[in-house]
Amino acid sequence: MQASQKTLRTQHETTWKLRMQEWWFRNRALIGFAFIFPWFAGFIIFDLLPFMYNLYLSFTDYQIGTRGIPPWIGLENYIEIFTDDKLFGKSMYNTVYYLGFSVPLRLIFAFLIALILNLRVRGMELYRTLFYVPSVVPLVAATVIFAGFLNTRYGFLNQFLVLIGATPVRWLSSPDAIKPSLILLSLWGFGGQMIIFLAGLQSIPEDLYEAAAIDGGTGWQRLIYITVPLMTPTIFFNLLLGLIGGFQIFEQVFILIGTNGGPLQAGLVYMLHVYNKAFRDFEFGYSAALSVILFLIIFVLTILLVYTSNRWVFYGDSQDDET
Amino acid sequence: MKYSLFVRIALALGILLSLGLLPSMAQDCDGEVIELEFMNWWGAAREALMDTLIGHFQEENPCIRVINQVQPWDNRAELLATAAASSNPPGIIMSTRPETYQFAINGLIIPIDAFVETHGTDLSVFYDGEIGLQYWNGELYGLPMPTAGGLTGLMIYNKNLLRDAGFDPEDPPETWQELEDMAAAITVADPMGIDVLGAAAFGTDSEFVAWLYTNNGKYVTEDGRTLLFNSPEGLETLEWMVNLTNNVNHGTLNITDFFQDTAFAQGDHPWYEDKQAFLHINTSFFGHFNVNDPEGYADTESWGTMLRPYNGDNPDAHSAGTTGYNYSGAWAYTIPAVHPPEKQEAAFKFAEFIGAHPLGGCAFLFAQSRPSPVKECNENPEYYNVNPYWSVVLEGLALDTPVQITPVQGQLAEILSNNIAEAYHGVKSPADALNDAHAEMQELLDEFWAEFDVDNM
Repeated sequence: MQASQKTLRTQHETTWKLRMQEWWFRNRALIGFAFIFPWFAGFIIFDLLPFMYNLYLSFTDYQIGTRGIPPWIGLENYIEIFTDDKLFGKSMYNTVYYLGFSVPLRLIFAFLIALILNLRVRGMELYRTLFYVPSVVPLVAATVIFAGFLNTRYGFLNQFLVLIGATPVRWLSSPDAIKPSLILLSLWGFGGQMIIFLAGLQSIPEDLYEAAAIDGGTGWQRLIYITVPLMTPTIFFNLLLGLIGGFQIFEQVFILIGTNGGPLQAGLVYMLHVYNKAFRDFEFGYSAALSVILFLIIFVLTILLVYTSNRWVFYGDSQDDET
Repeated sequence: MKYSLFVRIALALGILLSLGLLPSMAQDCDGEVIELEFMNWWGAAREALMDTLIGHFQEENPCIRVINQVQPWDNRAELLATAAASSNPPGIIMSTRPETYQFAINGLIIPIDAFVETHGTDLSVFYDGEIGLQYWNGELYGLPMPTAGGLTGLMIYNKNLLRDAGFDPEDPPETWQELEDMAAAITVADPMGIDVLGAAAFGTDSEFVAWLYTNNGKYVTEDGRTLLFNSPEGLETLEWMVNLTNNVNHGTLNITDFFQDTAFAQGDHPWYEDKQAFLHINTSFFGHFNVNDPEGYADTESWGTMLRPYNGDNPDAHSAGTTGYNYSGAWAYTIPAVHPPEKQEAAFKFAEFIGAHPLGGCAFLFAQSRPSPVKECNENPEYYNVNPYWSVVLEGLALDTPVQITPVQGQLAEILSNNIAEAYHGVKSPADALNDAHAEMQELLDEFWAEFDVDNM
């Protein structure tokens, strides 16, 4: 009697377990969705809906104080941007100039420092921390510090230049020097990219270097033929983020040279123009159109980069694995 | 037991909350207390002074509780725009004249003429030039405080630097030419830039307009529809400014660098280190100087006040100032449209107090040794004790000329500023800069008036 009861219980437990497994198997997608739901809800509420609303506003004459539905003006904002807005071209040029120098310089700088910090020497953890510290400093504080560094008369940089007999540079007052100053400032926050590079470097199998060493490969050859190709996914990732972030540069310029973009508006970057149109001229619809254009530029560039990445980014020897 | 504990805790919390809230509510208020959020830009240095003013107001109006919301100056435009346009704006807003106009045409604030009539407010206590700036399209939108006058017509100078350069410190320059001669003798420059500055005639549109009026020029017609600044007087003014900058101050970059990262209100301005001889600043100067360097302020042997010099070569020119042009001038206290009538009424009472009451704006400005837009306040003889140059201040106020502006003033100012900057940097000649600016600005102004006229037909 007891044995049969035990058997029944075991059968029942087994059935229950099977049912659970079956339910889990059938609904595993649902459970997956449940886990990503918080992010997904956040994306919808805080990203997608505002983006769609911004897109809608870009076709309206939405100004400060517009109550109810703002007047629909179709493509007027876009037409004005491309035909009548002198600062659109200027701010775009300034931004692209900044990007053209800051993104590659930052990538190279972060990569070189990561290479050095990947060496096996005593106290390396300390060096790594020291190099990363500037990235932890809030951007506002870093920019204020930089403003002091760049001061023509009292700044550290000019004091140093004078000490070595060079001519002082008008970092923030000369239209020719403003963009280089911003590029210089962009190097400050290289720590984030450096850490990603460092992680990438540490994932390169050691045996590849050993094999190269046996074959007589020099340090330079190992760098060019092993490290760089295997780091291309990381370089690609940093390049993409750098470009997107570079297009959106705002706070540094805002703090360093103000909303007007400095002398001759040489530092008027695109986001500053968007900001001015919204909060100085109170033309929110126009400003929304400007930001949609920026989104499209970044979107197209990202697609192009992803598309061309097949030619230069090395994602591992997948063909060998298949054979 | 559990419930008993809960009740006791709730009771204790209730008592604590009441203790915390009750003192802030007026003791003698019979009805409901109206909370009035007061968004202002008076800064931390004057917060205590404003709290005192609010205290006096609440004694007279026990059913209104004013919350002093001092805002940072950085991002001011953004803060103000978003607050005004939101569905829950502050109860009362301190805004500049262009902002007041902008909010008015968009229906964000209400005209206060009805309140003025109901309360029997005597507007004649204000100078005509001050209250006049707060009207848009025939309706009054705010009461002024501080003065819009005294913003550009006055200058201060360092007597020690004049003395050291061999000039009589009691005889400051009256004309551009005298100013230029003195500035040239005082200015000291080295490869790092200017060490000691004589005078600067450099800056944005507002600086150009200020000098323009000392050359008998005009910015715009009285109806605000036609821009006049590219006149021969305007060209002469800009040429003089550019020449002074290039010949005396060794170029634009030097001047820009000289004022880099300095602010008069914060005490790190070259003036406080005896590095600048002539300085143009508005009447807030006296209060800031007194706070940042009380000993220097008290020593009238070391500094003086003068009227802005005029073009000695132009027989029609004289010292002058402007009111209502400067973006940071002509402040008023405006009332958002979305609030219920009782809150708007409370806001008006506060605006009235802060504008004209002896314990309100009068006392607040007196404590800063600066003038009030209310005539009677400035007649207080005590001013001569707290401000050693009070007679010059009054003289300067009398020379001010109101300038008509429109809600698109911000955009116009930006165009003018950018063109002037191009003249300073040698990208354009002064004539081209003014003509280009005029063409672009007039087009924008015409567009505005065309739209305005259609809306108001």
